[in-house]
Amino acid sequence: MLSTEKKIKWVIEAKSSYFNLNFKELLSYHHLLWRLVRKEFLINYQQTLLGPLWVLFQPVITTITYVFVFNNIIGVSIGGKLPPVLFYFAGIILWNFFNDSFSAASKIFRDNIHIFSKVYFPRLIVPIALIITQFFRFLIQLALLVIILAYFIIFRGFSVTFTWYLLSLPFVLLIIGMISTSIGLLFSIITAKYRDLTNFVDILIRVLLFITPVIYPLSTVKGHTRWIVELNPLTPLFELFRLGLLGQGTVSSSQLLYSIIFMIVSLSTAVLLFNKQGGKLIDVI
Amino acid sequence: MAETVIEVQNISKVYRLGQIGSGSLRRDLNTWWKTSIIKKEDPYLMTEDTSHLSNQDLWALKNISFDVKQGDALGIIGSNGSGKSTLLKIISRIVQPTTGSVRGVGKVSSILEVGTGFHPELTGRENIYISGYTLGMTKAEIQRKFDEIVDFSGIEKFLDTPIKRYSSGMYVRLAFAVVAHLEPDILIVDEVLAVGDADFQKKCLGKMRDVSQKEGRTVLFVSHFMQAINNLCNKAIWLKHGQIKEIGVCSTVVNKYLASVQQFNLKQSWDNLQEAPGNDFIRFKKVELVPQIENPDEPLDIRVPLTVKFKFWNLIDDVSLSIGLHLFSYGGECIFDNQSPSMNFEKGLIEGECTIPGNFLNDGSYFISLVINRDTSIQLFYFEECMAFDLEDFRGDIKWYGKWMGAVRPRFPFRIEQTTFTLE
Repeated sequence: MLSTEKKIKWVIEAKSSYFNLNFKELLSYHHLLWRLVRKEFLINYQQTLLGPLWVLFQPVITTITYVFVFNNIIGVSIGGKLPPVLFYFAGIILWNFFNDSFSAASKIFRDNIHIFSKVYFPRLIVPIALIITQFFRFLIQLALLVIILAYFIIFRGFSVTFTWYLLSLPFVLLIIGMISTSIGLLFSIITAKYRDLTNFVDILIRVLLFITPVIYPLSTVKGHTRWIVELNPLTPLFELFRLGLLGQGTVSSSQLLYSIIFMIVSLSTAVLLFNKQGGKLIDVI
Repeated sequence: MAETVIEVQNISKVYRLGQIGSGSLRRDLNTWWKTSIIKKEDPYLMTEDTSHLSNQDLWALKNISFDVKQGDALGIIGSNGSGKSTLLKIISRIVQPTTGSVRGVGKVSSILEVGTGFHPELTGRENIYISGYTLGMTKAEIQRKFDEIVDFSGIEKFLDTPIKRYSSGMYVRLAFAVVAHLEPDILIVDEVLAVGDADFQKKCLGKMRDVSQKEGRTVLFVSHFMQAINNLCNKAIWLKHGQIKEIGVCSTVVNKYLASVQQFNLKQSWDNLQEAPGNDFIRFKKVELVPQIENPDEPLDIRVPLTVKFKFWNLIDDVSLSIGLHLFSYGGECIFDNQSPSMNFEKGLIEGECTIPGNFLNDGSYFISLVINRDTSIQLFYFEECMAFDLEDFRGDIKWYGKWMGAVRPRFPFRIEQTTFTLE
């Protein structure tokens, strides 16, 4: 028999603290993390004709619609000489990344109640697995964007000068991923208890789409409404993404700093609240 | 002296009943303000006196304290709603206690259902991994035991088929195979025996006995099967309304619990004619099983004579009635059918009794049905399974503990004598 000195000691207490994040424990569950990511991919493409191609299908169709509606019918100016297909596709895949990781995170308690009520493991594993899944989906879509970009450069004579901004792409993704997941987590805690707030979340996301430079560039927003778009911490990130990859976008370092501070605040609030409330939520769902 | 591996101190759990709505938001904010900002007692949780506590609060557990020693197999028993599952969930870190703490040493695995973490779209192979990791197994552990798990479950051919196409038997076998190969220091098991067939239950119990007795691990076990608890555990806790009613040696606690449950099941009565079981001819007012026993706290054993008392309303005038008592074993086999002679009755209440002698039935679970016939052959009302009881074994001086054969255990007298003294 093993000697008890080697065994882990644990304590369960009534009060849960904000600061009980156990990194060592979290790390010991990394195998579970990767299995959950794998599971997400497997169950989405089980019994489908096109399989993983669906990841590409949705943004492609949306881009075609946007180009048709905004460019050909309404005639929204996207400024500069950038082909509309590239402009919209880049905006859409980045928005999808934000939207999907946000909505996945906001449903964590509702979707996993059957597991959370039967077995213990660090609950943070689930949101981390979700954001990694969304990140992989995004990478596949990004690859298509790069192919389209290459097509325009080679066959359509579109020229883009790659600058140091290109190196900021991973950084943009990291901030967007963190913001979406942490706000999603905050909403998952609130909506677990007050169910009707999920309706509010849906509306919020829809409104947010229109004050984010997805279907228009920031440079075309003029006058007294511009502050609304600039108040959105996602705005500089979308602009920086297009600037780095397609060479068109407006971003200032102070705006970027604002996004980073927003990320830090939302992330720490979310993790702290998740630690504090995670154990109690099981009683009310 | 074995080491203490789980130390439960003063655990309570309060569930807030009622709707969650705008009222609960105000209450939450109030609680949060009082406890977190101005550091006072929670205004909605006063532990010292429960009388003024709002009836919206349910104490699922109240001031539970006990220790579990290394190698103990602890059975937790009690009626539905007594807090057994809540206690296991607290020790498994699934729900948080309202007060108190649990300290423990060693890796804990809890099996609160079979198939935790299984996803129907995934293959058997994928599910073994995902379920194993969810239950806290390491990669090396799963890889080492993968073949064993597959063997044990017998699903080799279907390993790469999504488990939604499995039969329910295959599903349960695979799920149990995974949990059976966990290697925790402390194993927590809740009512998993309730699913699966007899064969599966036997396998479960066998595995759990190995875990606790051969491997010396600590087991916490909740079940409604008292026989299983008795077989497996050395200690038991009896929970009643969230408090410890009795704790100690398993068989003693189980006997006391059984005796109290039996008291409850042995009598049924109805005051209102309309609500009483029956029909246009007969309505039952009371059925009662009265054991001829001196100390009512003792469990019924095979020596005790049992008197079946009944009272019913006869709603037809001038009728010839006979009453039959059917005794069934737990398996549904009829042990006997005892019919009274026919008698003439007028409208009104009729009372009667019949005694099953002691030292007649074998140990086991039984139920009784009563039948009322008109003119000895026309069935007026059949009151099915109106009483149930368990008879415990009693061996006295006999130093043999095997299962006694037969549905009945009568003591018909033998006449035995020695006739000659030599072998001529």
